[in-house]
Amino acid sequence: MGKPVLSLNNVQLTLQGNAGPVPILKGISLNVERGESIGLTGPSGSGKSSLLMLMGGLESATGGTITALGQDFATLNEDALARFRRDHMGIVFQSFHLIPTMTALENVATPLELAGDRDAFDKARAELEDVGLGDRTDHYPSQLSGGEQQRVALARAAAPRPDILLADEPTGNLDSTTGETIIDLLFNLRDRHGATLVLVTHASELAARCDRIIELRDGALA
Amino acid sequence: MSLLHALPIARRELRGGLAGFRVFLLCLLLGVAAIAGIGTVRAAIEAGLNGEASTLLGGDAEMHFTHRQATEAERTWLAENTLESSEVITFRSMLQARPDSDTTELGLSQVKAVDAAYPLYGSITLEPPMPLAEALAAEQDGLPGLVAHPALIDRLGISVGDTVRLGTQSFTLRAAIIAEPDGSISDLGLGPRVMVRSAALADSGLLTPGTLFESKYRMRLGPNPDLPALQADAESRFEGQGMRWRDSRNGAPGISEVVDRLSSFLVMVGLAGMAVGGVGVSAAVRAYLARKTDTIATLKSFGATRGTIFATYLLQIGALSLLGVGLGLLIGGGIPALLIPLLGEILPVPIETGIYPAPLLEAAIYGLLTALIFSIWPLARAVDISPAELFREVSGKGQHWPRWPYVILVLVLAALLIYLAMRFSGVPMITLWAAIGILAALATLALAATLTRALARRLARARMMRGRPALRLALGSIGGPGFEATSVVLSLGLGLTVLAAIGQIDTNLRTTISQDLPERAPAFFVLDIQKDQIKTFQAAMMADEAVEKVDSAPMLRGTITEINGVNARDVVGDHWVVSGDRGITYSATLPENSTLQAGEWWPEDYDGPPLMSFSAEEAAEIGVKIGDEITANILGRDMTAKIANLRDLTFSDMSINFVMVWSPNALQGAPHTFLSTVYATPGAEGRLLRIMAVDFPNITAIPVRDAIERVSATIDSLGAAIRWGAAATLLTGFVVLIGAAAAGAEARVFEAAVLKTLGASRGRILLSFALRSLILGAAAGLVALLAGSVAAWAVMEYVMSARFSLAWGPAIVIIFGGALANLVAGLGFAWPPLAKKPAQILRNRT
Repeated sequence: MGKPVLSLNNVQLTLQGNAGPVPILKGISLNVERGESIGLTGPSGSGKSSLLMLMGGLESATGGTITALGQDFATLNEDALARFRRDHMGIVFQSFHLIPTMTALENVATPLELAGDRDAFDKARAELEDVGLGDRTDHYPSQLSGGEQQRVALARAAAPRPDILLADEPTGNLDSTTGETIIDLLFNLRDRHGATLVLVTHASELAARCDRIIELRDGALA
Repeated sequence: MSLLHALPIARRELRGGLAGFRVFLLCLLLGVAAIAGIGTVRAAIEAGLNGEASTLLGGDAEMHFTHRQATEAERTWLAENTLESSEVITFRSMLQARPDSDTTELGLSQVKAVDAAYPLYGSITLEPPMPLAEALAAEQDGLPGLVAHPALIDRLGISVGDTVRLGTQSFTLRAAIIAEPDGSISDLGLGPRVMVRSAALADSGLLTPGTLFESKYRMRLGPNPDLPALQADAESRFEGQGMRWRDSRNGAPGISEVVDRLSSFLVMVGLAGMAVGGVGVSAAVRAYLARKTDTIATLKSFGATRGTIFATYLLQIGALSLLGVGLGLLIGGGIPALLIPLLGEILPVPIETGIYPAPLLEAAIYGLLTALIFSIWPLARAVDISPAELFREVSGKGQHWPRWPYVILVLVLAALLIYLAMRFSGVPMITLWAAIGILAALATLALAATLTRALARRLARARMMRGRPALRLALGSIGGPGFEATSVVLSLGLGLTVLAAIGQIDTNLRTTISQDLPERAPAFFVLDIQKDQIKTFQAAMMADEAVEKVDSAPMLRGTITEINGVNARDVVGDHWVVSGDRGITYSATLPENSTLQAGEWWPEDYDGPPLMSFSAEEAAEIGVKIGDEITANILGRDMTAKIANLRDLTFSDMSINFVMVWSPNALQGAPHTFLSTVYATPGAEGRLLRIMAVDFPNITAIPVRDAIERVSATIDSLGAAIRWGAAATLLTGFVVLIGAAAAGAEARVFEAAVLKTLGASRGRILLSFALRSLILGAAAGLVALLAGSVAAWAVMEYVMSARFSLAWGPAIVIIFGGALANLVAGLGFAWPPLAKKPAQILRNRT
């Protein structure tokens, strides 16, 4: 085994609530190997999404260390974390989180542009065709269905060919048929580009498609 | 029924607080406060003028003559009908300092010759303090006294005790005039005041037949005089003799008119401010209703009708409008009341502090109508969409037009607002044009906003934008769905349009007056040249090497009293041609600066019934044509001439021009003087003035450069007042900008979170936000510059009859100002999105 792509060591997260500090994650230690797919499951409020946010550097841990591709997140400031995500990560959210003032094509091209890719738009167009949206490139998110929006989000996450794909309940806002299509696309992309995948999901059958399932309960590994 | 259901829902909804309505309230407050403030100051000045009417007029009533003093019959009438009367003669003349010395100098002055009864009301303040009678009396040295305005004393470098001369009469300067009870703005004319005893002018050679002077006979009447009856009696007795009547019912018409015109103009600028505020009101209502989408959907799904929803939110908006208007009235009515004592020190008019309901009511009506007009549109759209559509998370919903009854309601309310503004302003046609201008500007800006968005969308997709993510993001968000771009272009654009128009007019007027005119204008206008002096005068001027040309024309003054036998004012109202006495000349041939537009010029030896040539432009304005008969009162006699032809004139080069030119046989026998224009190379003015002072002491030379400086100074003061009005409009625009930026803040927070997730640094996001604000602001500035310049061109071309050229200085200020204003408003809201962690935002947004 090589060096893990993602390494979490005794990671803690405590957020400030109205009634005082609320412990969300209580000492998680976990290694994810290159190319591996992990299904992160657990009941609502168990801390799955928070853990994913920490893995993406979108949130700072209040204790422990997180290392991705050998880079300790604690040593990176916000902009450096953004650049790290730009170069190595793709993230898919439950609520798609497309920028409403951009067309589908512009949404997908944005991370490539941020990385200075001169062929950003050509690659974005190809990526949209890959997810079956070649004819909707000029549509704004408000003109697309939920399934179509999530496909744009997938294309956006995959376009820069990230080393790590993080997906936070990507089918949570979709009906089961659309959800299945999205998951197929997600695994397809991951298989084709060989990325490491961390998938947060409620559904055990989705988790079962991953190499390994990790269950969280009350902020700790079950 | 809708209202019954709506009232409790509206009350409960309002418990949610005013957080979303700050911009709404501020916009209304600023607009109403500006209009109420202007109206209150106007009412305070009018009340002050009415209270001091007799003092300002100089008497309870006044008979006024041009070119002559009262006849015996008129003096007898005065003696029989008044407790006391006072004669005041005014004319322009040159005050000569250090006469008979090499350093002699001349200053144009407005001479007021008074009798012992002057002033009937009020008192004159002199420095050193002394009674007026003492200051004007002749002393042992035999020279009568003279008092003068400090500006003239300074300018001529003279001091109390010095000998000065008017015409051929010498005087001793006894004091400076500090305050004059009946000195009004309209009296200031082209020169500072000089006051002497009328009797002292007997040997001055200044008041000869044909000289331009005016005489006023002020009356002190008993308590509660029957002014209308007295006026009717005087007018019937002295009909056709050139007598004009004024009384304390309108003691200072000149000031009233200036105050009325200026405040009407400022109210119109205020209305432009209200329109800008309306954009903010509309944006605030739209944003509020967007947040209420779920509530509206829920209410509809439980059975609330469209009418109930409309009434619910209209009631809330109505209540908030009342609050905004009330606060505006409090500030607009209150601040002037506090400032008026200070204004009283600055303004040369009496001001009476108080609360004046009429202007407050006017401002309240404007405020409420504006709030309604701009709220109904978004409200009508929001209530018109189905609950299912509302439940769906679709942005850009409700973009359709409202149902036609709502559109008609908005149009009716807008028409009512314009109608009321026309009524209130007192200048209906100007107000109508201003309203059309504001509507046209709004329509242009709305179109410009659409075009800007389309262009931004196209540019964002252009190949050249690839690899420039910050710029592309900025352009994409301007061109994408959402209302921010439209709000910014409309509000900032309208504010800047007003400012651009004023800036362009101001600069063009200044250029015309201070640069263009002196190049073509004569060095002097010379008045009161007697018939036997004209040839020697022309020869003396032409003998000086600096003089290029001397033009001369006979000059009389007269008032048009009748057109085709009907009272002229009844025919054409208050047009300037009939509102006072005008210069009249006669000529055997077509004057040099004119071209015949219609009709025939009379033969050089014409000796038939009097004929007249009339200026074509003014003839068209007052509706007279060839063949019409014009009666003018000249030197107290009514004389009638038939219009034989119409001429096109050029007034803009300040050459000699008269609206009316008569056939010589009608006027050449009447006592009259000559008017000359002397064209000379710059720098020779002092020498020429000295020649005139020595050889022609009775004449009055008006240096054009001085006149230009005075006009420039007047433009400065008017410009300052108008710029303050425009600044209020811009301030409202800025509030709307802040509102637009605040409304877009949530979207930016989300956008920043997603961009950070995708790998954008904070600097890059900030750059994108800044570019977005700069581009939108500059676009608003550019459109405002175009719209403002078109307005300025129209004013210069059609109102001022002057050339227009784009003034680049103010133009650049407008574009940069627009960009900067929007940048400041935008960046104020840019930091919070950058400071937040993406997880905080994305976790809470489903």
